[in-house]
Amino acid sequence: MKLEKILPWAAAAVAVLLVGISLRPARGVNGFDLAGFGQLPVLEGGRVKPLDSVARNALLMLRQKSSLKGEVAGADGATAKVKLTASEWLLDVLFRPARADAYPAFVVDDPDMLALLGVEQKGSRTYARFQDLLPHLDDVERQAMIQPTDNDQRRVQRAAQNLAERASLYGKLKVSLQLPGTTLADELGKGGAAAARNLQAMDQFAQFRPLPPAAGAKPTDWRTVGRGLAAVASGQRDPILEGWASLGKAWTAGDAGAFNAAVASIAQHVRAANPAGARQGVLESLFNRADPFFSGFALYMLALLSLFVSWLARPAAFRSAALVLLVAGAVVQTVGIVARVVLQGYPPVTNLYSSAVVVGWVAVVVGILLEVRYRRGFGTLAAATVGAATLIIAQNLATSGDTMEMMRAVLDSNFWLATHVITIVIGYAGTYLAGFLAIAATAYRHLAPNRDRRDDRLLGSMIYGVVCFALFFSFVGTVLGGIWADQSWGRFWGWDPKENGALLIVLWTAIILHARWGGYVRERGIAAMAIFGNVITSLSWFGVNMLGVGLHSYGFMDAATFWLATFCGSQLLLMGVALLPERFWKAESWRASREPSTHDRATPAVHGE
Amino acid sequence: MKPASQPAPAPPAPPPAPSAGASWLTPLWDAVTSLKLTLVCLSVLMVLVVACTLAQVRLGTWGAVELYMRSWLVWWDVPRTVLSVPVFPGGALTGLVLIVNLLAAQLRRLELSWKKSGLWVVHLGLILLVAGEFISAAYQREHQLLFENGQTVNYVTSPTKAELAIIDRSDPRHDEVFSIPQSMLRPGAVVQVPGRPLAFRVKEFHANSQVGTVDRGMGMASAGLGPELVARGVPRTSRDDERNMPAVVLERVGAQVGSGPESWLLSTWLNRAQRLEHEGRTYDLMMRSEREYLPYALLLKKFSHDRYPGTNIPKNFSSAVWLTNPSTGEARDVLIKMNQPLRYGGKTFYQASFQGENVSILQVVENPGWLLPYFSCLLVSVGLLAHFGISLARWVRGQSARRAAKAALEATP
Repeated sequence: MKLEKILPWAAAAVAVLLVGISLRPARGVNGFDLAGFGQLPVLEGGRVKPLDSVARNALLMLRQKSSLKGEVAGADGATAKVKLTASEWLLDVLFRPARADAYPAFVVDDPDMLALLGVEQKGSRTYARFQDLLPHLDDVERQAMIQPTDNDQRRVQRAAQNLAERASLYGKLKVSLQLPGTTLADELGKGGAAAARNLQAMDQFAQFRPLPPAAGAKPTDWRTVGRGLAAVASGQRDPILEGWASLGKAWTAGDAGAFNAAVASIAQHVRAANPAGARQGVLESLFNRADPFFSGFALYMLALLSLFVSWLARPAAFRSAALVLLVAGAVVQTVGIVARVVLQGYPPVTNLYSSAVVVGWVAVVVGILLEVRYRRGFGTLAAATVGAATLIIAQNLATSGDTMEMMRAVLDSNFWLATHVITIVIGYAGTYLAGFLAIAATAYRHLAPNRDRRDDRLLGSMIYGVVCFALFFSFVGTVLGGIWADQSWGRFWGWDPKENGALLIVLWTAIILHARWGGYVRERGIAAMAIFGNVITSLSWFGVNMLGVGLHSYGFMDAATFWLATFCGSQLLLMGVALLPERFWKAESWRASREPSTHDRATPAVHGE
Repeated sequence: MKPASQPAPAPPAPPPAPSAGASWLTPLWDAVTSLKLTLVCLSVLMVLVVACTLAQVRLGTWGAVELYMRSWLVWWDVPRTVLSVPVFPGGALTGLVLIVNLLAAQLRRLELSWKKSGLWVVHLGLILLVAGEFISAAYQREHQLLFENGQTVNYVTSPTKAELAIIDRSDPRHDEVFSIPQSMLRPGAVVQVPGRPLAFRVKEFHANSQVGTVDRGMGMASAGLGPELVARGVPRTSRDDERNMPAVVLERVGAQVGSGPESWLLSTWLNRAQRLEHEGRTYDLMMRSEREYLPYALLLKKFSHDRYPGTNIPKNFSSAVWLTNPSTGEARDVLIKMNQPLRYGGKTFYQASFQGENVSILQVVENPGWLLPYFSCLLVSVGLLAHFGISLARWVRGQSARRAAKAALEATP
């Protein structure tokens, strides 16, 4: 059989293998059923989720990674290496707090904060332990409350606020099941009397609620351990609470058998009391483990790789393989997005994180359509680049907490989330796809040996078509946003920064199209203008959140500012390259002057037979 | 619009001159209808939008909008001089030029044909959209309604403007309210209370002020709270999170306290009225947010503020309201909540904010042009769909035809 036939199938096999690996069941660690523990549902942040999500999200917020690696000083002064999954870390926080306090769980980048804590800066990332943080918490909190007068003070204040918030999260996790100095088993043994005294503290400061609602209560009325203990004190038995007590005892004692029995018992009782919550726990922990967006990212990277190979050898075969990988990535990402919609009960885009995921997805789908029609690799190139890049962005946005958070009152409208937000995001995807097609066109003209003039024109039409697509969705999305604003606060247009950002995209795409219709720009000009669309879209998407004004300023970011500026700078540079006159970058003449023998790229027969 | 594979279009055929004999009109007509003008306007708008967005950090939303978007020209105050020079076209001017350009170009260039029908509809929709923004800028009025559980209110207040209220409390059955808008409180002006032997001369007025207390007798006025108060003018603010707090010093015409005139210091900083007894009548004086009285009343039965369990994330705000209108005999329950306003009597009441657990704040908006964007959105979306659909279909047909031609060519030996 010819390679052209085999390679796409091989690519499909690779994709299936990759997804299969991601779905393999988790192994227990030293016999402990951590997967079963991770599936146990609790209520946190207003929604039911598995402990696995609680642990991952907390660790992502504290140290921007979903697992913990580092060194711990033992009792004898020697250091030991630890490597923990999020669930193991959470178990230690809950039941062996003294040990957990010694884990390097807090990433601290700000030099002033490090100085305040007396922690030495190490390499690019410095991790602090809670025991380093504890003696200085008052100082950190004071610094968080100052009235800043200049930018330096503002930066220090933000760093302090951020650290104080994370310390508070950690503290709340620690008291979710038991108070310092006691264990849940002891409390239960004493009939819950002591906890009834400390009910206030345990009820108010608990980060999550592990006890399903009592029969007849509202489905969201999950109970804290404090409330459970109070009920025990008044004479009721609570098998779930007893399960947690023996789970804690087993984890502290390192008794895997007892631990697994406790997990099974809690799971069984929760399932009986609240089947919907139990189902959510199982599904969401499966989603967490499968991590479809990571698989999607890997598939897009493989697609790019395959495409790069196609430029060196066997163009048709590797291009088809790349398309197969791209489609596989899109399928996996689609499954991921649908799973999030099912788990969260909201339309796909609810925050910056999910907007990044969906922008990439739309760009990939449109890119696939272009590729299926024209089969020149440009669609795959732009789509896989945007898809992979947006998933990296999403990964970095996930460190600000639960990505499936509940919606604030003003945003809690499925109709508008499904219409305005989705159309806007489709518009973003359009401008990015056009921008990256334009970059591809520029690179192609500069670097491709023996380029085909028809490809230049094809790329030009693709960019044009995608810009039309972007204009349509950006315009409709922007006006729908106005109508939502009119519906919810009586102002169709409020010149809010986010609205202005959307308007800029509409104006810019309109300018591109009119300039083309008027004949003022040709292929080169349109490419440069489409690349500038990347800048406008990025500023509109992320830049306005950094201004910190207006109704839409929900995500304030610091580190992202640097990357945004870098990206915009690179795009301006690329615009310059796109505008370079032909004789400067004519690939043939450049190559001809260096290596006289060229071979014909356009015919695969040269390599194929 | 041309398919991508064709060269740039030839310049449009020279049009017939709009009026014979006026040769200078032709270049003007060319300029007004040119696509270049459209591009310039769109680019200018982009610059304005960017400037307006950045300026919001400093000036607040509406300050920036007044400066850049709702002005005919953008003025620049030359530093260290009193000069102010126009440096850039403002949003209003650009919008107007864009409308004229759109209309003119539409009349001149676009033929009436099915092929161009999409563009006609799009541009009509755009004209409506810009016109809607002009109408909003000119006629939209925003008020607030603040009430607490159990309170009945029959007026709305201005979020920006204040008024001097003189309330005659002499009749126990009803009060008589005389309100003087702050725009009439110019220094030197005399305010005569109609039908009463009572007049004030404005001694000092500050559109925004700070008010402080001093030892008795050191104050800026002689009557009421005045002997213990001083007011100082401060620059006006346009920021979203601040409001202007005017202060006024009034002298009662013909009245003396000791050796000086009887004077009053009033400001929106002071929450209570100051009492004046004159010729057997009792008056309350105060500066307060400008009120507009409604021919109907709203009673707040209950304000609810739900949060997601175990969090501080607001889930919903709502005000259960009892609406009564004596002129129509209406009396009914209304629930105003996020994304679900009450439209009544030309006004729309939105759940905007709250104070504590008992006080609900409604945003009250009147905008005669509020429906325009809805029509516009519909027209532009349909138009764009039609236009891009028609173009795409033509292009795909062209591609297929070219491919068929190529195949035919290759088939020929």
